[in-house]
Amino acid sequence: MLLCHLDELPDGSTRGFKVAGLRCKVIVVRRGDRVYGWRDLCPHYAGGTPMAWKRDAYLNGEGTHIACAAHGAWFEIDTGVCVQGPCLGKRLTRVPLEIRSDGTVAMATSGR
Amino acid sequence: MQIIGPDVLVFGVDDVPACHEFLTAYGLDAQDYTPEKGGLFTGLDGTGLEIRRRDDPSLPPALKTGNMLRMQVIGVVDEAALEAVQAELSKDRQVLRLADGSLRCQDDQGFELAFRVTTRKPLDMPGEKVNAPYHPARAANAIGVSEDMPARPRSLSHVVLFVPDVDVAVGFYRDRLGFRITDTLTGAGPFLRPQANPDHHTHFFIRTPVYMQGCEHLAFHMGGPTELMLAGSRMIRAGFESFWGPGRHKFGSNWFWYFKSPLGCNVEFDADMDIHDDDWAPREAPMGPEAAQAFLFQYRDKWAPTGGPGGPKP
Ligand code: FES
Ligand SMILES: [Fe+2]
Repeated sequence: MLLCHLDELPDGSTRGFKVAGLRCKVIVVRRGDRVYGWRDLCPHYAGGTPMAWKRDAYLNGEGTHIACAAHGAWFEIDTGVCVQGPCLGKRLTRVPLEIRSDGTVAMATSGR
Repeated sequence: MQIIGPDVLVFGVDDVPACHEFLTAYGLDAQDYTPEKGGLFTGLDGTGLEIRRRDDPSLPPALKTGNMLRMQVIGVVDEAALEAVQAELSKDRQVLRLADGSLRCQDDQGFELAFRVTTRKPLDMPGEKVNAPYHPARAANAIGVSEDMPARPRSLSHVVLFVPDVDVAVGFYRDRLGFRITDTLTGAGPFLRPQANPDHHTHFFIRTPVYMQGCEHLAFHMGGPTELMLAGSRMIRAGFESFWGPGRHKFGSNWFWYFKSPLGCNVEFDADMDIHDDDWAPREAPMGPEAAQAFLFQYRDKWAPTGGPGGPKP
């Protein structure tokens, strides 16, 4: 499943993508030449709820963590672990991503 | 004790311009705002939110949990009421009297408080009027809705706090400050109103682990459900994200629509809340989807059915 091209994802930026068949968006965070994918579901409440306060606004002010704007939970960008706020110790659900040779970012095909 | 309720909630945030973008879209007026220092964001009666950088040295200390609420400024009716608060709270804690006449102290769980004679300006604006059969409330030719009608938050309504110990919270706000418990959601906590405010609640406490202590949400009153629906729809169309609503709560009867915010808590529009006096007998219900709302809807894009099959020609 193709999400975007690296050119549409400047270093340090974050975007949410709707994906057919998934009930939540997929958050993609770019850090240098790495991309991290997470389900847009805050684990504070059972079942999870979407986290941004505005389209694509997934990071805290300093850009150091993914933040849930409902009650301020902070998650590490590389591990998805909540380090502050209501879901302390819980983690986001990873969406494995791959960067293809042509620079497109895609959800890794299953089995990888 | 003649307390009215929060005049201002003070936040120390990590993204001041984002808060400005959000709160002005929400309909508050930015006063003395700069992106470096923040500012005061007011509803129509002058109550509001003070937004500063989290490292602003003028702010009281932050909660250890990372929650961005820094202080509640609580309005009382007059100087005698302020003295009554000072006399009561001075019994067991330090209460400072600042140069501007306000009081400063902490509650029993470390929430910072200020008290002052309220500066809110009562509004001379009618509420929403509803025409019912045989009982029209609007004059002939007065229309009920237009796309561009104003829908601005009128007055700071309530703050909801995650607290480690509900009994300690009640021991302070009810037993020391004279708040009344109006209703209780068992498993969550009580709704409270101060004596000089008939609103169903200015405070609601939710029991949580210690590491969650802070503000769960805050709300401003709108002029009625139509203003609430319009304001929320405008937020959605501008790209902001709903957390819960629109719907109508059971306890308090207030219409609600919650939006996530860069203040690290939800920010709610509310409308048509019940008012009470001391004849009210508090109710109790177990917290859950049934008790939390009479009904709940979700925003969808505008759409229209028309006459023939296939819909209107483009
Ligand atoms: S829903 Fe995300 S922190 Fe509460
Ligand atoms: Fe509320």
